[in-house]
Amino acid sequence: MTATSTLPTTAPVKAGTPGRPGLGATIRWELRKLRAQHRTKAVLLGALLGPVPIALVIHAQGRPPKDTLFGRYATTNGFALSLLILGFAAQWVLPLLIAVVAGDIFSSEDTHGTWKTVLTRSASRAQLFTAKTVTAVGFAVLTLLVLSASTIASSVLVGGHQALTGLGGQLIAPSTALKLVGASWLTTIPPTIGFACLAILLSVWSRSSAVGIAAPVVIGMVMQLVGAMGGVEALRPFLLTTPYEAWHGLLSAPRFTGPLVEGLLTTGAWAAVTLAVSFALLRRRDITGG
Amino acid sequence: MTTQLAVDAVGVTKAFGQVRAVDDVTIQVAPGEVYGVLGPNGAGKTTFLRMLFGLIRPDAGTIRVFDKSWDSDGVGVLDGVAGFIESPGFYPYLTGRQNLEGLALLDGGARPGLVEEVLEVVDLTDRADRKVGGYSYGMRQRLGVAASLLREPRLLVLDEPANGLDPAGIRDMRALVKRLAASGLTVLLSSHNMDEVEEICDNVTIMNRGGVAYHGSITDLRAMAPDPGHLLDTNDNAGARALAADHPGIEVERAEDGLTVVGQEAADGLTVVGQEAAVAAYVADVVRSGIVLRVFTPTRTPLEALFFMLTDQEVAA
Ligand SMILES: Nc1ncnc2c1ncn2[C@@H]1O[C@H](COP(=O)(O)OP(=O)(O)O)[C@@H](O)[C@H]1O
Ligand SMILES: [Mg+2]
Repeated sequence: MTATSTLPTTAPVKAGTPGRPGLGATIRWELRKLRAQHRTKAVLLGALLGPVPIALVIHAQGRPPKDTLFGRYATTNGFALSLLILGFAAQWVLPLLIAVVAGDIFSSEDTHGTWKTVLTRSASRAQLFTAKTVTAVGFAVLTLLVLSASTIASSVLVGGHQALTGLGGQLIAPSTALKLVGASWLTTIPPTIGFACLAILLSVWSRSSAVGIAAPVVIGMVMQLVGAMGGVEALRPFLLTTPYEAWHGLLSAPRFTGPLVEGLLTTGAWAAVTLAVSFALLRRRDITGG
Repeated sequence: MTTQLAVDAVGVTKAFGQVRAVDDVTIQVAPGEVYGVLGPNGAGKTTFLRMLFGLIRPDAGTIRVFDKSWDSDGVGVLDGVAGFIESPGFYPYLTGRQNLEGLALLDGGARPGLVEEVLEVVDLTDRADRKVGGYSYGMRQRLGVAASLLREPRLLVLDEPANGLDPAGIRDMRALVKRLAASGLTVLLSSHNMDEVEEICDNVTIMNRGGVAYHGSITDLRAMAPDPGHLLDTNDNAGARALAADHPGIEVERAEDGLTVVGQEAADGLTVVGQEAAVAAYVADVVRSGIVLRVFTPTRTPLEALFFMLTDQEVAA
């Protein structure tokens, strides 16, 4: 121990009242932690590079996967190829990529015993909750955007940009097709945010990153199964996975956007409820661990 | 003008299921004071300090810190307060410096150069750019002190800061706390070790099973303390014990099994309790009578003995 150093708190007069951090500073802190973690880079790299080999492999198939949406043209048309990948990504890849961060951002504080560290500074629980939620949702959307751009670019490069045959058999000119494909990917933003909020709830509630990351994926798959079953039609609009199919309307003839609006309402409700419950849990919680 | 208390906790109670971890505890700390919360493991020290920091909510009672409370001021109650509970938690994938810089963001920023200063105070400047994941327990503990000083607090709350450290680490930590206390900071220190508190604290609350067993100044506590105890072992313990009859000021009894002396196996000897001079006269008598002395050593300080009595912990003699 050095005995020579000047203590920062030699006189009570000098001791200041620490300032209250703004939301911006709190978010900056979350981003710093995110940036220092390998998993963050792995997710972004996966979203960026993953679509390339997938596009190449599907394109190289002798027989196209005819039973899948846009599968028939996937080996001969880049737009169809990117939509085929979209259908596939929505099944479990997207929920997984989202949950790696959103399902961990709260529970990692439990893992490292750092709730007591951050809660004994000058940020309120509400502030920390908001910063983490904004960060997790922002990261989810960023991941989705990277995945979309990479998939569309590699698909078009590999499969070409000929006119696309729509779901109603209509021929869509390449420039329109590109817009519609881009728009289709963007329609998955709301359910992506919904899944991020679900992952947040599971991570706050379980205090475990394993649950926070795996459970949203499993729940997503169960929802798809339920959605695919006959006899439970009434349930479909309430499932978080249904909005992932809303883009089908954009490529039909005539176009329809009803599912998009419905999906927006559904995911809005999911997000509101999961976040409200998450915050209620966190606000009332006794921090006894760590 | 009434003096504003640094800590004014009144009738604080918290139960976990059937366990009353903290039971109607009142602790008042004046500004500038170095205050000890002493108690054996499980006494409720940590639970009390967690409530002070708002990490858990009391079932009953009120806690005011510099006249602010959680109910009316929210996190503002922590203005001017810093410290850590048990072992401080940090992000292992960040360096020591990154951890401090990040935590400073949650304080609304630290003035330039302060991070360097506090690293220097806890002697971590050389290791500041290594990941905390590779820090030893003692280094993490010191980083905890640095993280607290970063808030330039008026009140520093430390929950058994020397716990789990090796002897060198304990010595360093005690010296550090002593220096901080001497710098004019108000310090609230918890410990299960009388030595640690006795040296630097003005006032103490001794807790036991959630309740308050003693409350007052160290000086008053000293006056209440019993005589010091010693362990004596000879080649004729029965003979030595018989000699005690001539020394009414002391008490000599057979030591119970398991009483250990530093550097020795459990000795099967005698415990001698009495004032220094009376004990010395008795031992001189024992030696003069031809009995061979094997062990003669103090077993506990008077304050320690009192602490054990107040908290009814198992202790021989
Ligand atoms: N989260 C908890 N759940 C249940 N019991 C607890 C919890 N935290 C502490 N306790 C109990 O409360 C009592 C006081 O514990 P603690 O405040 O940690 O004591 P100390 O810090 O003095 O060792 C102990 O009996 C302990 O087992
Ligand atoms: Mg404790």
